[in-house]
Amino acid sequence: MPPTPTTTPRPGLVARAAAAAADRVEAVGQVAVDAVRAAVELWGVFVSTIAGIYRGGRPRGEIVRQLHAIGNRSLLFITVTLGFIGMVMIYQACMQFMRVTGDLSQIGLQFLPLIVSDFGPTLTAMMLATRVGAGIAAEIGSMKVTEQVDALRMSGVLPVDYLIVPRFVASIVMTVVLSTLGGAVMYLAGGLTAHYQFGVNTELFFDPELLRPAHLILGLTKAVAYGAAIPIVSGFCGLRAQGSSEGVGTATTAAVIGSSFAVLLLDLILSVIAFVLFGEQLR
Amino acid sequence: MTREHPDAPRPLISFKAIGKTFGTKQVLKDMTLDVYAGEVLFIIGTSGVGKSVTIKHLIGLLGIDHGEIWFDGKRIDPLPERELAPVRKRIGMVFQNSTLFDSMTLAENVALPLRKHKGMRQKQALAEARARLQQVYMADYADRYPAELSDGMRKRAAIARTLTLEPEVVLFDEPTTGLDPVNARRIDRLIRELSGTHGVTSVVVSHDLVSIFTIADRIAFIYQGGVRAVGTRAEIQGSPDPVVQQFIAGKASGPMETPGF
Repeated sequence: MPPTPTTTPRPGLVARAAAAAADRVEAVGQVAVDAVRAAVELWGVFVSTIAGIYRGGRPRGEIVRQLHAIGNRSLLFITVTLGFIGMVMIYQACMQFMRVTGDLSQIGLQFLPLIVSDFGPTLTAMMLATRVGAGIAAEIGSMKVTEQVDALRMSGVLPVDYLIVPRFVASIVMTVVLSTLGGAVMYLAGGLTAHYQFGVNTELFFDPELLRPAHLILGLTKAVAYGAAIPIVSGFCGLRAQGSSEGVGTATTAAVIGSSFAVLLLDLILSVIAFVLFGEQLR
Repeated sequence: MTREHPDAPRPLISFKAIGKTFGTKQVLKDMTLDVYAGEVLFIIGTSGVGKSVTIKHLIGLLGIDHGEIWFDGKRIDPLPERELAPVRKRIGMVFQNSTLFDSMTLAENVALPLRKHKGMRQKQALAEARARLQQVYMADYADRYPAELSDGMRKRAAIARTLTLEPEVVLFDEPTTGLDPVNARRIDRLIRELSGTHGVTSVVVSHDLVSIFTIADRIAFIYQGGVRAVGTRAEIQGSPDPVVQQFIAGKASGPMETPGF
């Protein structure tokens, strides 16, 4: 007599839904745990970088090389992009003012504090996050997947000291310099657009009457913070690269997204702090 | 098939039931292996079986999940990065891809560990580096960058960099992969000379059967996360284990389970 076939009863709809929900919760939980772990590691890289400035041990002349790579090579890119953004912003602002009030006398007065306290450093940093952030992550990521980072450790070198500290110092210096330059180009391009396209008087446009020290302090603080964040986030992404060229690509993408997000987050945080500290001076 | 080395009853290096998991993949499962002073031990096995992972644990480039690693009577697996520096002075590693630093000349590459580990000044370290490069017949290329050289030349320079600290143990990760047969045999001869002349202990990860059965004192065959067989060349060649026989005969079909095939 053949054995009676046995079948496993299929779980009910509720049981399957509960199992699927449990899987989803577990997946979300894992993502959260990974995110927290990454944040802790990122903080560790930042602290180690600060300590690395005092430890020394970076290659001779590396900061100068990085100043050139981050600053000089971004000069044209920043000048062109911020110039165009300045032109477009003023063009759009003038168009709107023409429709509503027809009075363009306030355009330049309001534009300068905005550039100094926000647009100059933030837009410059957003551009640098793409160009410099991708470059740092790709370079360090390539070294990681080809075991050069391991070889550094075997040679008695802390990778953070060797790879991130020079970029960190150079990035802070050059983000301040490029933010100043980018802001100036933006202001000039906007002013020329207002003058030639809408007939705004240049003396009226370039009047710095509304600019306050608080705007300068906020703009400088933002530039320093962005300059510090980009190499830390990008270097961290590069050091986490795994596998081969695909891993470097993933690290590079993560660096651009992470650096850009860090810039926006710092912009929000610093703007709120500045508003609390300076209040009316920023209006 | 395990046996104790007749001249060195206490192992210089011991892996004791170590385990390592990457994501969901368990690479090493309670792997135990001893390495004796002065021997040339080959670690063999299929790709992805955990050979390179094993030797990277020894110098703290990877951390184990469980188990213990001992070096010269001291447990080293829990040591933090800073305390690993003395271990890394005594154990050198030649990486699979040479891993010379692209932005430095060969002399600067070789000088780096001298400056960092021995605290030499740049000028003195560079002079010492040139002498080291001379030992591997690369002195004429001291001022060239790695990208300008062939694979074999880069490999020799990487070996010079590793030997510059005069380590007691050298870990070779697939030293002959990608080299022509002549350069591959030269590397074999160098590994053998290090052991014979300088008493250096060599742990070599390799697939190169010619190297394995020419210069190895002992061979450890890694399979499914553990040591399947360990012994002399003759013992491995005479192993009754069909999995070992399939590997050393290089047969495509047999009892060996290979992920992905």
